[in-house]
Amino acid sequence: MSQAEPVAFDHVTKRYPGSGSSDGAVQNLSLEVPAGKICVLVGPSGCGKTTSLKMVNRLVEPTDGKVLVGGIDVMTRDVIELRRGIGYVIQQVGLFPHQTIGENVITVPRLMGWPKARQRERTDELLSLVGLDPAKYRDRYPSQLSGGERQRVGVARALAADPPILLMDEPFGAVDPIVRERLQNELLRLQEDLAKTILFVTHDIDEAIKMGDLVAVMQVGGHLAQFGPPDEILANPASEFVARFVGADRGLKRLSLSRVADLELRQPTTGTVGEDAAEARKRAWSDPFRYLLLVDAQRRPIGWVDERQIPKDGVLSESMAFSMSPLLNRRTTLKDALSMLLDADVQAGIVVDRSGAVLGLVTADMVAERMRETAGEASFPAVALEA
Amino acid sequence: MIDGGWIIDHLDVIFGRAVQHLYLSAIAVAVGFVISFALAVWSIRRRAVYGPIVGVAGILYTIPSLALFPILVGITGLSDLTAEVPLVLYSLLIFIRNIVAGFDGVPSEILEAANGIGYTRRDRFWQVEVPLAIPLIVAGIRLASVSTIGLVTITGILGDRFGGLGFFIFEGYRHGFPTELFTGGLASILLAILVDRLLVVAQRRLTPWTRTDRSAAGQTATDSARAAGA
Repeated sequence: MSQAEPVAFDHVTKRYPGSGSSDGAVQNLSLEVPAGKICVLVGPSGCGKTTSLKMVNRLVEPTDGKVLVGGIDVMTRDVIELRRGIGYVIQQVGLFPHQTIGENVITVPRLMGWPKARQRERTDELLSLVGLDPAKYRDRYPSQLSGGERQRVGVARALAADPPILLMDEPFGAVDPIVRERLQNELLRLQEDLAKTILFVTHDIDEAIKMGDLVAVMQVGGHLAQFGPPDEILANPASEFVARFVGADRGLKRLSLSRVADLELRQPTTGTVGEDAAEARKRAWSDPFRYLLLVDAQRRPIGWVDERQIPKDGVLSESMAFSMSPLLNRRTTLKDALSMLLDADVQAGIVVDRSGAVLGLVTADMVAERMRETAGEASFPAVALEA
Repeated sequence: MIDGGWIIDHLDVIFGRAVQHLYLSAIAVAVGFVISFALAVWSIRRRAVYGPIVGVAGILYTIPSLALFPILVGITGLSDLTAEVPLVLYSLLIFIRNIVAGFDGVPSEILEAANGIGYTRRDRFWQVEVPLAIPLIVAGIRLASVSTIGLVTITGILGDRFGGLGFFIFEGYRHGFPTELFTGGLASILLAILVDRLLVVAQRRLTPWTRTDRSAAGQTATDSARAAGA
């Protein structure tokens, strides 16, 4: 597999002479995307994000400055060779309607003159990679596929010659939200193995936060408003514009970037079924919660026992549990965790491991505390937007 | 009024004239197409020339054919060339407009995708633009063929050596023999219809992807269903 290459914009400016509007123009853009990372360019329409993307494969040529791929100025390279080495996915997918799915997918290797047998092999490999059964899809035409299937073919085509870099221009813009989410997850899963350098354009801040290792927020007129990891942009918006663009709910958005594993879990006082009640009662008494978490012999949670309900003698039994908490695991996002806590009777979630045994507790306070710790000075407080 | 016996007696002559008719038409359509294709491609590359090219082709189209054939005799004599030149000239307008429309109809995002992927200009033209322009180009060939087959009858004005099936129209008219006149006219019409149908079949063969749209509607729902089930 080919080695991913870094992409860098070095003081890149694009002006469209004669046009009064600054739509699509880019103003002195400098940023670096390390090899193997996903960088999302996000911003309102006309902010120059697509123009910036197209300067990488020279569909647009910069007025000033340099775009470097693997350290080499793209303007010094043969344009056809450059483009064949960069995967390109666009919103309307741009599949060729007169070619079968198989022909579409293998376009670049065919143009590069790969042997026929290797082309056939690669076609099937690519279709399988994006989750399409080669036998079923190879000989169909694009018009016979759903929007989501076409997007998958678009991604397969971009990956065909194993380019070190992918450019994706609103690749999931034309499909419904359910399919979009699925395609996003598939791309992230693919990226874990492929580790391409991906430049991804979207106008959807949620998509940017989800997909990006790095997010470049762009502003109309082609200015880079902020560049950094998604959590940093949500925690410390660099300007009023970024604060407004990421939205008043940026605190909630940050929650989706952190997981239960990031928290230091609180240890509950537990009692095991069959254990001496008096002992357990003493422990529960010393816990500020005054509740005992009843677990079975494998430490799997059964429910909460009120300290007052614990008999003075005898043993703990399952019937004493009166209430249960939502169960979380270490991969649960803090956003989902908080949502489950708000819904539950007991404001503490029980984190369990793969076998279902208790690891600890999460409370809403802990989630809030975590957000406070990692937020910077709120120089641009969240503003509620009208309309 | 119609003498069926004459038709049966002259089947071989009628067939021979039909072949000549097809021959004169095919050469005109082929030459007209090649010239038009070149002019159309030039027009697409340089938009400014499209107006003047269509203007000239339009003026040529207005010249009465009955006048043009005899005029050319003075220049090219009584040769096939005299018959073909007007046929070719009349086909240009139809061809150029349809070919240009065919290329204009190729969606711009497809062209950009082709560029972005790394097609050379020539590969893009032959492997993407031409195939996608085929439906409208074939529509032009059909129109030009039908129109040319009709016009070939008029070459009969140049004498008995020409005219294809039109020969019977002229001869029937001269001799006041309706059977011959109608035979020529009807056979010419049938020939035009036959060629038109053959071109429709050829287009279907050339553009298999245009026949699949109907089945697509039933497929669009599968994605959401699959995502929901996953």
